[in-house]
Amino acid sequence: MALLVVDIADMKISDNPSETLITYSLGSCIGVAIYDPVLHLGGMIHCMLPLSKVDKEKAQIRPFMFVDTGMQYMLAKLYEYGLRKARCVVNVAGGSQVLDNQGVFKIGERNFTVLRKILWKNGLLMNAQEVGGNRSRTVSLDLGTGRFTIKSGGKLVHYDLP
Amino acid sequence: MTYLNEIEQHIDHFPEMPPLCQNLLGYLKDPDVDFNTIKDLVQYDPGLTANVLKLANSVYFGPAQAVSSLQAALVRLGTQRIFELVLSLSVSDKLVSALPGYGLRANDLLRHSIWTAVAAQELAELLNMKNVDTVFTIGLLHDLGLLLLDPFIHKEHLQFNRVLEARQTSFEQAEKEILGIDHAQAGARVLSKWKLSPEIEAGVRWHHEPEQATQYQDLINLIHLADMLSLTQGIGTGVYGLQYNVSSGSIKAVGLKKSHIEYTASKTLDRMQKLEKILT
Repeated sequence: MALLVVDIADMKISDNPSETLITYSLGSCIGVAIYDPVLHLGGMIHCMLPLSKVDKEKAQIRPFMFVDTGMQYMLAKLYEYGLRKARCVVNVAGGSQVLDNQGVFKIGERNFTVLRKILWKNGLLMNAQEVGGNRSRTVSLDLGTGRFTIKSGGKLVHYDLP
Repeated sequence: MTYLNEIEQHIDHFPEMPPLCQNLLGYLKDPDVDFNTIKDLVQYDPGLTANVLKLANSVYFGPAQAVSSLQAALVRLGTQRIFELVLSLSVSDKLVSALPGYGLRANDLLRHSIWTAVAAQELAELLNMKNVDTVFTIGLLHDLGLLLLDPFIHKEHLQFNRVLEARQTSFEQAEKEILGIDHAQAGARVLSKWKLSPEIEAGVRWHHEPEQATQYQDLINLIHLADMLSLTQGIGTGVYGLQYNVSSGSIKAVGLKKSHIEYTASKTLDRMQKLEKILT
């Protein structure tokens, strides 16, 4: 089983069933994994910030840094590979926060809000979602089985295909 | 019972500053030292000289103002900054090891330290804060104490899990409760032993409790907020995640808004990745 690592502000797509997509240490960042069980096709993205308008120049070079430009790009690529909306499974994790009662550091919450809007606009429903809290999370998607795994605080939780 | 005595011994036995840094530090206190003396000390090691220049250009100068000789770097930055660059290059070796107690993989602590240093610099520029040039060096050194406490955190991980899951205690508070000392205090103790400048020591000592500091508030607020941003972004968060308190006082003092931190985060990633190559 080969691991295909998705770095921070990056995205990867594969349809090789022997591969597993993985991204490490999601804090306030949001990780989205989309899977088509018929094609064994999966995409995973690790976005840092909600909206590209905060730094448009950067969004040109690194579209995956932002939820809005990153998701748009990933979905377009997945459709090119043949992803069908009716059978795809969307899993989401991340969006946690430091203990900040002023709310300035609530990037995680803002990331998730923007993501929900984008999924809704695209007519996509979330399957598993584990968002918020104070822990960081490592997530993986097994392209052979579609199993989505979240590792957090030393514990593993698996989400199989619905 | 805490581990305070054992940790004190670890602090006493923590390696001295590398000999070259000790020599340089000696000269910094001499107001009559000339640049040639400093230059000769550093140039004795050609690899180090090349890295000092790369780091100086990456941290302090844009491509248009890049320096190509140690002499030029000394003239532009002064001996104190050059000393700090040499120190950063020597200390970064120690920050690459994995820390199983904190759940950090190899290079995680180095990345976290560079992110904090760069983000603090970017925030200072964005918020137009002056006289905070030391902020990069403090950022790089701020979590040195993790190296000292890691074995004890590892031994007590069940208790850390219990305390952190039962209450909304911050991680640095749990360190104090369980070990009798937190990593900020431990790190500052090492820097005090190394006789570094009081602002560097204070920056490290108070990076989780900025409201306790009596001097260097701007520097300390910047380090604290940059550290929180680094943890927020999941850079070097480890197994205990983001369970750290953000100081409302620091947010108010520098006038921090959410757009500031988002812009800073977007600028910091690429610079961190570039510096990681120089520092490893």
